[in-house]
Amino acid sequence: MALDGGRFLGAWRASSGIYDAAVLSHVPIGCNWGAGMLASFSRQQEINHACTILHEREIIFGGESSLERSLLNIASNHNGPVIIVVSGDVPSIIGDDCDAVIRSLNLEKQVALINAPGFMGSMRDGYEDALLDLAELMKERDTIKKSVNLIGFCRDDYKVDADIREIKRLLSCAGIEVNCTISNCSYEEFLGAPAAELNVVIGQGKLLADQMKKEFAIPYIELEYPYGLQNSHRFVERIRDAIDYCDVVQNELDLESYKRIYVYLNKLYGMPVSVIGDHHSQAMAHFLEEDLGFDIKVLSTFDDPSFEDRIRNSNSIMIFGCSFELKIAKYLEVPLVRYVYPVFDRVSFCDAPFAGTRGAQVLIETIVNAALSYGDDYIIRA
Amino acid sequence: MRKTLCEGVFFGLLENINLVHHNFGINCKLSGAVFSVSEIASAVPLIHGPTGCAFHQRLTPWRMFASVCNAESTNLSENDVIYGGERKLREGIMRAYRTYNPSLIVVLPTCVSGLIGDDISGICQDIRSAIRCNIVYVNSEGFAHRGRVMDDNRTNAISSSWAAYQSSATLEHEINGCGQEEVARALVDQLMEEQDVLDDKVNIELNGKCRISFKRRLGEMKRILENIGLGINATLLAGTVDEIKHAPAASINIVTHNRMAAERMKERFGTKIFRKSPNHNGIDGIEKFYIDIASNFGLAGEAESVLKREKEFASDMLKKQRRVFENYNFAIFSQDWLLNPHMARALVDDFGIHLRYFCINTNQLRRMRAISHDNLDSLQSDLAQLFSEWDLDTQIIVNPTHKEIMDAVRNVDCMISNGPMAILHGHEVVSKMIDISSMNYLLLQTSFKGVVEFGQLLALYIKQMPVSKQNNSIISYFNCDPIHYPLISDSSSYASRNIWYSWKSGKYLKVD
Repeated sequence: MALDGGRFLGAWRASSGIYDAAVLSHVPIGCNWGAGMLASFSRQQEINHACTILHEREIIFGGESSLERSLLNIASNHNGPVIIVVSGDVPSIIGDDCDAVIRSLNLEKQVALINAPGFMGSMRDGYEDALLDLAELMKERDTIKKSVNLIGFCRDDYKVDADIREIKRLLSCAGIEVNCTISNCSYEEFLGAPAAELNVVIGQGKLLADQMKKEFAIPYIELEYPYGLQNSHRFVERIRDAIDYCDVVQNELDLESYKRIYVYLNKLYGMPVSVIGDHHSQAMAHFLEEDLGFDIKVLSTFDDPSFEDRIRNSNSIMIFGCSFELKIAKYLEVPLVRYVYPVFDRVSFCDAPFAGTRGAQVLIETIVNAALSYGDDYIIRA
Repeated sequence: MRKTLCEGVFFGLLENINLVHHNFGINCKLSGAVFSVSEIASAVPLIHGPTGCAFHQRLTPWRMFASVCNAESTNLSENDVIYGGERKLREGIMRAYRTYNPSLIVVLPTCVSGLIGDDISGICQDIRSAIRCNIVYVNSEGFAHRGRVMDDNRTNAISSSWAAYQSSATLEHEINGCGQEEVARALVDQLMEEQDVLDDKVNIELNGKCRISFKRRLGEMKRILENIGLGINATLLAGTVDEIKHAPAASINIVTHNRMAAERMKERFGTKIFRKSPNHNGIDGIEKFYIDIASNFGLAGEAESVLKREKEFASDMLKKQRRVFENYNFAIFSQDWLLNPHMARALVDDFGIHLRYFCINTNQLRRMRAISHDNLDSLQSDLAQLFSEWDLDTQIIVNPTHKEIMDAVRNVDCMISNGPMAILHGHEVVSKMIDISSMNYLLLQTSFKGVVEFGQLLALYIKQMPVSKQNNSIISYFNCDPIHYPLISDSSSYASRNIWYSWKSGKYLKVD
């Protein structure tokens, strides 16, 4: 089946990436639970979201009073500078006037409203539109030279913190500063995004970049997620070109560590694999093809319902995807490398990125270990 | 098919490490023995030696993907080296018996117990009455490993078997010291019992019981032999202890590996020997294999009609693949004799491939110096003679230069190799490389189904071959040794390798 979280989840993920905001989901409890749960596997200490808990009574009498109560409650209990209301499917159908409720309360705190009924688009749509709505909060800033915003992240992406740290390191080595990572930043950082010289859209967030170009004259470029050595190199070079940065920097491509597993790399060269994911999938496929010489049999995004059939009909012996791919991987008895949201049966909390040049090492280590673990079940049989 | 490929690639990772390390030495005889014992159902190896021997020899090159967990050790210490390890051996046997409740305990002496002179056979004899399980001891001391002439003898045997391709030539070479042969021989001497011989039964030798291909091979063999009018008495060594005991009831041993054990069975019980030959490859070769066996029983006629059906079925299964292959020109690149001319012929005959070039690089074997140049020359001339007699219209290129290889690749659609070809990395033609090292074992199994599966996999690879492939992968940046591929050029590794080669050749090699 096609695998898309829908508009509400996209908007929720964009909003909850502003980590000192209070995200109030105006939905039945299940919607909030699902989104929150998927975000909590590798970030268990922070819950910045709450729910208006629309129940049968609200379906009949409307959810506006519930929203009002919840807003008052959260305004007094949450220390954050902003409340982001993400309104889902039910209020949209029953016709709640959320905007009126927010205006009527006239809270001291900033309140943003994002209408994101799940049935009205994809997770990507939800993410794009939510950022666009939130962009209204931004104000003109003085430009910080050689600085960029990175747009396209979610706070619950697998390996997101380590990846951002690595990307910042790569850019820093190239003399470029990261002004804001969207959406994985504080509210203040988000508001300060217009200070950047360039917006770098990584997979999603293009509407925000368009809007910022129009509003603040900040140009943008679209780049692939920097998986692998060659992708990372291109990533940095494209940004340097875009901001016209001519200083010579040290090329840090170091293959020495890979020699430690060169026999394995030789053996795995040409391995038939399949890749599924969101916007990360194309970049992952490029990395596997370019750096490792893998043979990509199926490359697909989550909205392709034929993905599993296509894998079955290929000779793929390793799958790259999210935790939901475990079933097809188990069915075909091939290893699964989890790299893309949602990953709920693995944790990522240490500084072991998948992005960048350091990430290439971690990824390759993960891939080789996945291949080696194929024999695990044989220990009993043998 | 996917599982076959998974096993080939993923288990191949560790197997490749094993192969690479064979450039620097060989595994201990003990690990070969541990593997053989692990093949026998309900048998447990008892390693009579220091703890270190039992620690790492359980990771045996024959099944790197699954170490042998059910094993015991006597953990000999310094005190035992002085005063003897016999007490610990008795305790170890009893512990193995209580812990695993096995049908068979196989005592495997190590270098230490071999040197201190424990009376292992006496203790085994003595303790037999105290336990309700069989005990066997093996000459598994590590210092008595394979000799330096082994590679040369093997090459000589291969050459002879190629030259005598019309007959059932066999690999007559010494493999004493691998550990497996010693276990098999010990079982013949100490476990097997005199039986009434059944005229229509054979023993077959198969190993690798936990691999996916094992059951398939065994199933196919059983079916074909039964249809011919023969039955399998025992599967050696991957059978039960009871099967092994009753092995002498068979008229013939079908030998693929443990030649000396078979000789010993012949000596002790009169069991005849049928040896699998290198030319028992490919569909015609497999047919010949069974007809040769059946001839020993006067059943050649029956076998012919059975095999006709089997061959027709296999050929039918391959029809679709042959249609794929006929659109391509092929070259083969081999660095050893695994891709031998019989295999090449099977590729031509069974799959109908147009084989334009057969490139063979003997430099690695020459560099080892453990193989005489006479034998290598003889292999080369045999290869040429066979191709000429078979009228294969294939150009043989011995030790091709870089240019010759690149020209050959450019002139074909696919370059089949038994390992990735370093020389192609960094060039656009790398997309034509099909590394069959993960699946070529299917061709060596004397199995129609194996041949069919190989053909299906090869066709799949070809159909899904990328039009162009990135040629700047990480490995393309490595400075690979041009001769000992896939080794990376490294002076210290080179020196280490030469020490091993020096021992094998008995000559001191200078580091270039």
